[in-house]
Amino acid sequence: MKEYPKKENPFKLLGQHLEAIGTGLKYLVKPTRITLMYPEESMVLPTGYRGMIRLYKDVCIGCTLCAMVCPADAMKMVTEEGKKLPMINYGRCVFCGFCVDICPVDALKETGVHDAAFTNRRELIFDPDKFSQDFDQPPTMDKPVRKVRAKIDEKKGIVYEPDD
Amino acid sequence: MIVFPGLIFSLITLLTAIWAERKIAAKIQMRFGPYYASKRIGGYFQLIADAIKFGLAEIIVPSNSIREFFILGPILITAFAFLPMAFIPVSQIPSSGSITSPYYRFFFDKFAGISLYQPIITPYSLLFIIAVASVVPILTVMTAWASNNRFSLISAIREGILTVAYDTLIIIALISMGIEYHTLDIASIVKTGVPGIIANPIAAFVFFVALLMGTARFPFDVAEADTELVTGAFTEYSGLLFVLSMAGPYLLTFVYSLVFATVFLGGWLPLMGIPGAILTVIKALIILFFSVFMRSVYGRYRIDQILRGGWKYFFPAALLALIIGMIGGIFL
Repeated sequence: MKEYPKKENPFKLLGQHLEAIGTGLKYLVKPTRITLMYPEESMVLPTGYRGMIRLYKDVCIGCTLCAMVCPADAMKMVTEEGKKLPMINYGRCVFCGFCVDICPVDALKETGVHDAAFTNRRELIFDPDKFSQDFDQPPTMDKPVRKVRAKIDEKKGIVYEPDD
Repeated sequence: MIVFPGLIFSLITLLTAIWAERKIAAKIQMRFGPYYASKRIGGYFQLIADAIKFGLAEIIVPSNSIREFFILGPILITAFAFLPMAFIPVSQIPSSGSITSPYYRFFFDKFAGISLYQPIITPYSLLFIIAVASVVPILTVMTAWASNNRFSLISAIREGILTVAYDTLIIIALISMGIEYHTLDIASIVKTGVPGIIANPIAAFVFFVALLMGTARFPFDVAEADTELVTGAFTEYSGLLFVLSMAGPYLLTFVYSLVFATVFLGGWLPLMGIPGAILTVIKALIILFFSVFMRSVYGRYRIDQILRGGWKYFFPAALLALIIGMIGGIFL
């Protein structure tokens, strides 16, 4: 390989290497961690967070606008006792929130729930009955989850403060 | 017996080294690393759990590989990485007053005039270590060829090119120490009481860099580059063979760290007996942890950058160390 002459001072290079190692050692001795200890503490979500969607069955007029606007074909209409109601497939949903925006009677609402787990794909499909309930999974831990708020700190990067 | 760096000790060292690597890298990258498997000791049991998991996993041998060499490869690598420990003295046996004193006669090194914690007494221990440790890259190339995998082949080529560069550095650095102390016996070098890092700092520096190169530590990780070559020569391995293939380079790092601790850092002095052995091992562990710490500081060099660095900067530095060794030899 042809080498192009480059002006580099080996002693300066060595100094830069030592500087890098020094920085590493500094972080090793005084670690600043920005990990959110997730299952034990979780972040407070901002208002307007687009989490899982909930239906208010009694408010819904069955106009089918939400199913029409859905870009991912996640929302479908079903007829239950003569009334058209939406059902959702969370395997397809992209959480864009178009259905919530387009609903003329505000029958759909975005909840703050986003950390859900399912064991199979059939569970991802919510029929109108399940869709019109507050989605809640039983907690996996005995301790209550600490709610924290992220704050930018000049020295430490991100710090988490308990939310009160 | 009284062989201090035994198999169980090596296993614990290995687990500790991998745990330290993960933990140190996590600390510097603002993470926690292993945490939940026993929070009190920093997630150390995670490594034991991993070891058990890999130990019980099925060993898959690809059908188009050379079966015998594929299985033999990691076993031989680990064995040859382990063998040099037989030539490293970890401490000195006091003639009386210690539990190990009855063995004073058995392990008497008549060349250095002291009795040692060293399984095989020989006046050429440095040469033996170089000879045995330099078999490992050949076995790596053999393993890669037997795997019959494109990543392994690229890794083998890189390893082959790299071996020439770093073996030269290791040999010249150790030979310069041999010339300086007029001996190839590690025990005699330690016995003089002058640590090699004071007698010949450039040799120590070159040896440390060659240690990083020779055992695929960062930034010289090209042969095992996991982001581009999966794990290089060990791509196809699973189960216990994977454990062995991972253990080999770490054990080799530890062996070189022990050599560094004895030759360059004064070994067990000023202590003797079992405390001396512990001191040697602590020194070696510091070197080992420092070499795994490099992972979090550096990125990976390209192969041509490593070779340019090796031949353009470190090879002249090694020759300079040789000259310093010749001059320093007059005074020692």
